[in-house]
Amino acid sequence: MAETKVNNPAAENDEDAALFEKRESVMLTPENAVFSRSEGGLISLDLTGPDGEKEHFERVVVLRSFPITDPDEYIAVREPETRKSRRGHEIGLIRHIREFDEATVALLTEELDRRYFTPEIHRILSVKDKLGYYYWDAETSAGKVSFVVNNISSNIRILEDERIFIFDIDGNCFQISDVTKLDRASYRKIEIYL
Amino acid sequence: MKLMYDLPEQDERAFLAAVGEGEKRMYCLPYNIEVDRFVSGWMVFTDQYIYKILDGELKEKFKMSELSDFSTENLYGSCAFYAKQNGVSRLLCRFISGRNLPRYSVMVKACEILAEGGSKDPLTNSEPERYCPKCGRPFVLHTKICPFCQDKKETYLKLWRMTRGLRLMMLFPLIAAIFSVIFRFVVPAVQRYAIDNFIVPEFGIERGSVGAFLLVVVAIVILDVFHRGIDVIKQRMAAYSGNKFTMMLRALLFEKIQNLSMASVQQKSAGDLMGRINNDVSTVQSFITGNLPTYFAQAFSFLLALVLLLCLDPLMCLFVFIPLPLTVFIIIRFWATVRQRNIHAWLITTRTNRHLQDILNGIRVVKSFGSEEREIVRFEEHTERQAAQDESNAKLFDTVFPLLGFALRLGNYMIMLYGNLKVFAGSMTIGALNQFNSYATIIYEPLMQITAIPRNISAFLTSLNKVFEILEEEPEVADIELPIDISIEGDISVRDVTFGYDSYNPVLEHINLEVKQGEMVGIVGHSGCGKTTLINLLMRLYDVTEGAIFIDDVNIKDISQNALRSQIGVVLQETHLFAGSVRDNIRYSKPFATNEEVIAAARLANAHDFIINLPEGYNTMVGEKGYSLSGGERQRIAIARALIHNPRILILDEATAALDTETEKLIQDAINKLTKNRTTFAIAHRLSTLRNADKLLVLDRGKVAEYGTHAELLAAKGIYYKLVMAQQRAALQKQG
Repeated sequence: MAETKVNNPAAENDEDAALFEKRESVMLTPENAVFSRSEGGLISLDLTGPDGEKEHFERVVVLRSFPITDPDEYIAVREPETRKSRRGHEIGLIRHIREFDEATVALLTEELDRRYFTPEIHRILSVKDKLGYYYWDAETSAGKVSFVVNNISSNIRILEDERIFIFDIDGNCFQISDVTKLDRASYRKIEIYL
Repeated sequence: MKLMYDLPEQDERAFLAAVGEGEKRMYCLPYNIEVDRFVSGWMVFTDQYIYKILDGELKEKFKMSELSDFSTENLYGSCAFYAKQNGVSRLLCRFISGRNLPRYSVMVKACEILAEGGSKDPLTNSEPERYCPKCGRPFVLHTKICPFCQDKKETYLKLWRMTRGLRLMMLFPLIAAIFSVIFRFVVPAVQRYAIDNFIVPEFGIERGSVGAFLLVVVAIVILDVFHRGIDVIKQRMAAYSGNKFTMMLRALLFEKIQNLSMASVQQKSAGDLMGRINNDVSTVQSFITGNLPTYFAQAFSFLLALVLLLCLDPLMCLFVFIPLPLTVFIIIRFWATVRQRNIHAWLITTRTNRHLQDILNGIRVVKSFGSEEREIVRFEEHTERQAAQDESNAKLFDTVFPLLGFALRLGNYMIMLYGNLKVFAGSMTIGALNQFNSYATIIYEPLMQITAIPRNISAFLTSLNKVFEILEEEPEVADIELPIDISIEGDISVRDVTFGYDSYNPVLEHINLEVKQGEMVGIVGHSGCGKTTLINLLMRLYDVTEGAIFIDDVNIKDISQNALRSQIGVVLQETHLFAGSVRDNIRYSKPFATNEEVIAAARLANAHDFIINLPEGYNTMVGEKGYSLSGGERQRIAIARALIHNPRILILDEATAALDTETEKLIQDAINKLTKNRTTFAIAHRLSTLRNADKLLVLDRGKVAEYGTHAELLAAKGIYYKLVMAQQRAALQKQG
């Protein structure tokens, strides 16, 4: 019925219309999807549809569905966001990254690690507090950093598997995968926040 | 926000080596992440190229004209800046989101302009900087104060200037503190006299000297009474001057906040402003009248005790100071532990409370899924942790506290040892030893608080700076030197007005509009198209970026804000009624309106009939804690409030959006009455509200899309026509 669109006058606007017109997300397997490094160093995808038609995506965005608990499962492959349609459409899901060959795994992992940039803290040099802000100096897998954490009750997160996530005021995320493996001096500095 | 950083020397050299002749440096921003490392790199934007520089080396260079589709993307924890180079997507750089996302958002727009060969004037970003330019640490939330870099001298000076008129009063606690210190020192001296002359002599007190002994006792009593008397006066003076100071500071702050422009008030939350008026002012006050005299007295008595001890017996004085470093060390360690333990205990309590609040708020969900058991177990885990923590803290503190008493007496032990040896040898009297011991105690006493002092001073300075920050803010929308108080007729002319809350993102562009006195203009458009912004400009809550608005051929910048706003009546969608009676609310804009005027305004607004039926008529209390009125009733009171000062210009911003049709009719009727002879601007989603408008203005993405009468616009079959048709069909569907 032509009338149905009326409920949503916004849909008459071209840009908004794009929001409602979705493509069908498919399961991506080595049979229908070929990932490759794009000319610009990012990820391209060649997709074969169910009825054999081919599609090429110059650049795709990969996202983890469960970045913290199951980073290798259910990886979403989407079109990049553009200024016009705020969210790109989902092209498909990878059930498990291991379904693909090693080169593809390496390619995807590199891109995922870039997106979920979570340096591991190796040593805590100092933690000072002043007026509710906590100033940290630490050695991490990404080099020596100084960062500031406020609101420690919610920005220091302890996961069920005992991993520790620290979110700083700038939006960075640092992790400590095994707090017991820290040296004694570092452990004593973080102990009180756990 | 800063968009042009200075390059470090080696990076500057690398840039100069790479840059071509005649290129104009436009922006220079840091980037922070390269592969899996934090780095300190730079993106330099000229009018022709983007240079990526890291550690004195040119990493990459992009030709502006080859680039397109600039975008920033939120990754997890960081962000990335992408663009297409000749159609190929590229990652230009990655940066820390909190610090640099607002900057790179401007770059998206700026690069688009440059890539298309547009204007070469750099864009600016009016968003306030959130990081200290000196040390790079973040400012205290909502402020421009860096706790590490605040200028102490400047702040103290400002405070000093502010205390004019109160100085004598504020000086008194300090003077009183000196007196009370002196008394503390005199008493042991008198005691020494008493001990050496009356208590120690082996043959008892001679008859004649009983009187003298009584004299000494009386002297001690009088000294003590005097000491306490001064303390009482000191406290009373402190209460007086402290509260006077607080009152003054709060009044100044409130006055300033009221006079600030809308733009700067909206940047701060109501909670933040309340915090500054209440908490920060009391922190400042309690420091000045409480901590400051105490610290002063302690410093003074420490010095005095030191001098006296040296005079009495320099060698023994040494014994007082030998254990001092150890004592200080123990005290600092103790407080550090206490603080850490307290933070930990606080964290655990917060987590328990949060869990509790979460579950209690969601109790219906818990019950409907039958997961009570699971929640009980989870809560027990939380409380167990808390109990364990509290127990361990209590045990620790109860062990360490007595130890601390020991540390504080270390000096006395040393004196006891050495002093008694001297007494046995006859080179010192018992009275002198007692006096010495008392002074030594005075030296050790202030050490207990030694760790709190820097923290208190820093909290005080930050609060003080937060207060000054408001007091010193320059209002953005200011009256000109000699503003005109015109009596408005109601001709309005908007001439080529462009406005944006940020310069790179105009909300309104090149708006032209002529409205004759008494006309009603309906403003229509999608949400976010700039309707409310246009109204805000007409009220001059913000100043236009380009162009000008004229009322009766006078630029509104030349009209005094007071005269302008007192002749504009506003009804908003969200009606705020102040705590008070209906009458108080109606005459808010004209406090001395007569009862007759109040009733007349209420009648015009179709509000009289329901007000008269309220239990206390016009005296019924409304507002947050008062009688609850329906949305339509509140709206009609708001209309009466807008009408009572008989404004020449009336603004209705979605005044009827949230109402049912019945009430809307009543209000519509009121509006029809009140728009007569007044220039009216009405924003409405429901187009039926605007059926009596003389002209309709359709805004689309910040531009005037259509302007004309209802009939003209329908005939044009443009946006307005589509909107009308859509709403009619929706209404039909509802009925069907």
